[in-house]
Amino acid sequence: MIDTIVLTQLLNGFILGLIYGLMAIGLTMIWSVTDLPDFSQGGIYIISAYVAYWTIILLNVPYFLAIPIGALAGILLSVAFERIVYNRLRPSGVLSCLLAAIALFFLLENVANALWTPKAKIMSVPETEVSLNLFGIVTSYHRIIIFIISVLLFIFVHLFIKYTKIGMAMRAVAEDREIAALMGVDTSKVYIATWALGGALTSVAAILISPLYAVWPGMGTLPLLKALVVVILGGFGSIIGALIGGLILGLIETFGAIYVSAAYQHGFAFILLLLTLSLRPKGLFGRR
Amino acid sequence: MLKVTGLTKSFGKLVAVNNLSFTVGEGERVAIIGPNGAGKTTTFNLITGHLKPDRGVVEFYGKNITGLKPYKICRAGIGRTFQIVRSFPNFTVFEHVLVGAISRYGPRAQIDLLKNQTENIIQKLGLIAKKDTIVRNLTIVDKKRIELATALALKPKLLLLDELMAGLNPAEIDEYIELLKRINEEDGITLIVVEHVMRAVMKLCNRIIVMHYGKKLAEGAPMEISTNRDVIEAYLGEGVAYA
Amino acid sequence: MASHSKNNTYLKKSFFYPRALRFAPIIITIIILTTLPLYASSYIVFVAAIALLYAMVAAGYDVLLGYTGQLSFCQGAFYGIGAYLSAILTVNYGWSFWQAMPTSVLFVGLVSAIIGYPALRLRGAYFAVTTFFLAHFVYLIFLNEVSLTGGPLGFRGLRPPEPIGPLSFESMTNGYLLILFSFIIIYALLRKFVNSNVGLILKSIEQDDILAESMGINTAAYKLLSFVISAIVAGYAGTMFAHFFRLLHPTTFSWFLSEMVVIITLVGGVGTLIGPVLGAGIVTFILEFLRFAPEIRYIGWAIALIAILMFEPKGLMGLIKRVGVK
Repeated sequence: MIDTIVLTQLLNGFILGLIYGLMAIGLTMIWSVTDLPDFSQGGIYIISAYVAYWTIILLNVPYFLAIPIGALAGILLSVAFERIVYNRLRPSGVLSCLLAAIALFFLLENVANALWTPKAKIMSVPETEVSLNLFGIVTSYHRIIIFIISVLLFIFVHLFIKYTKIGMAMRAVAEDREIAALMGVDTSKVYIATWALGGALTSVAAILISPLYAVWPGMGTLPLLKALVVVILGGFGSIIGALIGGLILGLIETFGAIYVSAAYQHGFAFILLLLTLSLRPKGLFGRR
Repeated sequence: MLKVTGLTKSFGKLVAVNNLSFTVGEGERVAIIGPNGAGKTTTFNLITGHLKPDRGVVEFYGKNITGLKPYKICRAGIGRTFQIVRSFPNFTVFEHVLVGAISRYGPRAQIDLLKNQTENIIQKLGLIAKKDTIVRNLTIVDKKRIELATALALKPKLLLLDELMAGLNPAEIDEYIELLKRINEEDGITLIVVEHVMRAVMKLCNRIIVMHYGKKLAEGAPMEISTNRDVIEAYLGEGVAYA
Repeated sequence: MASHSKNNTYLKKSFFYPRALRFAPIIITIIILTTLPLYASSYIVFVAAIALLYAMVAAGYDVLLGYTGQLSFCQGAFYGIGAYLSAILTVNYGWSFWQAMPTSVLFVGLVSAIIGYPALRLRGAYFAVTTFFLAHFVYLIFLNEVSLTGGPLGFRGLRPPEPIGPLSFESMTNGYLLILFSFIIIYALLRKFVNSNVGLILKSIEQDDILAESMGINTAAYKLLSFVISAIVAGYAGTMFAHFFRLLHPTTFSWFLSEMVVIITLVGGVGTLIGPVLGAGIVTFILEFLRFAPEIRYIGWAIALIAILMFEPKGLMGLIKRVGVK
């Protein structure tokens, strides 16, 4: 006799894990190609969610259209940061870029706070809130949508990296930047593509999860931290690792919140981080 | 004083060092030569603790030092320089060598002692004029000298030098040979040198170990090695600098 | 990143001008700060006290970031642990401040040593991320362990430090002076430390820790040392904050605080020790005076930080040196 509550939570944890995985894929790509753990993605997360929110509210755009619009905002911001800030700071070293990324995160968070107040906004998408009873499991259309979109994106990213010219160039740069440059790879184009892709993934993750939680200026911190843990857990530079790591974290968090402690729900990521770093620092699928 | 037995290290499928064994006696000047990729620098890294061997033992004066942390091996009396020169770019030459002295004698040592030690070594390596120059602004040749000076400040009993002569002109090479001979004979520092500059090796060293694909190919006095057929074959087609 | 000091104070060097003149700016500043309560409003004195606390934390942090080269984001956690522990010991267990404070500081040192020992083996970004998480985790504890910390309702009932003889610390002025003098002492000690032989070792680790390690320096031990020192300074500042401000709330100790410390240190000039102190002063005062526009001030600071990274990575001290004042 399968406990439907457990199954429901399994599904929830799985869906949450997909979101973490999306963001982690973006981060791990950026990190392995450009050597920068891009903290500003936390800010991108926030802004793209707000952009989606406002297009829904003000322009009456359907949710499905708001997703690519928000993603576009995320892409533009990420690429802008790369061209304006990171590009200039790169010669000064990773540390400067990291600090700039954090500053940009800080900046975006406070811009959101200033423009739209700290009060949480509910992104309500009535069409998807319809309950669904799937083999006894109660869920919503929304979660199905998350599942479908995430899977589609994973497949897209996988194919992109494997078969397109830019994707292969990204892999080359991630392996060895100098050799890639010697082989004639245009690293600046690769960087732009990487950041565009990363920004898109982060934005989609943010917009997908917004109807479930809320849109508020501080919404980016925890997802960023957790995505970083997933990157480390899954293995530096590994997309499969990011996906699987995300699922692991999503499930642990969901079940942990129920069976262990709801208050320290966010602490599971920390414990996972410590475990990974002490037992298997390379992560599950890491190459370095 | 140094005994290496069965040293083996692989990186994935690549066996960089393969069951290597040799000994070095006190006062010797030994060279390790071989084509690129023969495993020479890896051997150094295994001795100095920067890498842990998969198998094998490194003994120094009878004590097993295999896989110890690099700073402990340095304290035991083994110093080294790196193939790609490393330095503390923001220090002055004086501060740079001073760190070596502080490391050797401890941070609480007498200021005058540290100062004298530092200045002696700077003098010996001919850097006295540049004593207060910031290391970042010096040429690579000078940076190598500073790296050597700092290593000497640690008063090692054994010094591992990785391609010290690379990029030097013949006059500088001769200078170094003299300097190294003096260090060896006067200060009693045993030397193991990895080199591609054969002329320097012939003039400086009294024993040569030849490595090839991670294994010891041959070992002997310079004259023997230069006429050894296997050695010559291994070098055919490889770039060996006859300065 | 560390701009090494050209003043080799471990050697005698000839001064081109009388020694006294060198100390003039310092003495004048100390006099101004000490007499502040006489001519400034209590609001200004209050802000100055907070600024001094930040300056303490930033100076301690500079030892870790500027001199040893380790980027860490958990100063706020140590500050908070010092504050809450001292609060709990004095309010819940009736300890005197003069017992609680050293105990808290020692505890912070212990915690930092235990965390630092494994954590410092991590390279750069991994270490930074871990400290980030740690800060957040500690914040969660402050927030959730209501029985210990009062959680979101805050921790009240804190008293000022018990009087030493006739000297009472009840008044704002005396509290401020206590903070000022502990700051001066701590800064002097840090200065001495950083200019010592040990400081030189730290600077060598910052520039090339692999080379330092092969030069016989136990880099792990020295990294741990600077980590613990920066934690202890932050913990001490935390205890001072608790008994001066007398109200603790978890949001004060969020990761935002740790980030402010990093920003202050960078803006002031990392690796100069005095830079972060000045940075703390300026940041605190400007943030205070922009209180009417709360969001803008943080935005302003984020932009300032980015601008500094892009145009003058050496921060305030770099600007000053360029202009030729020092």
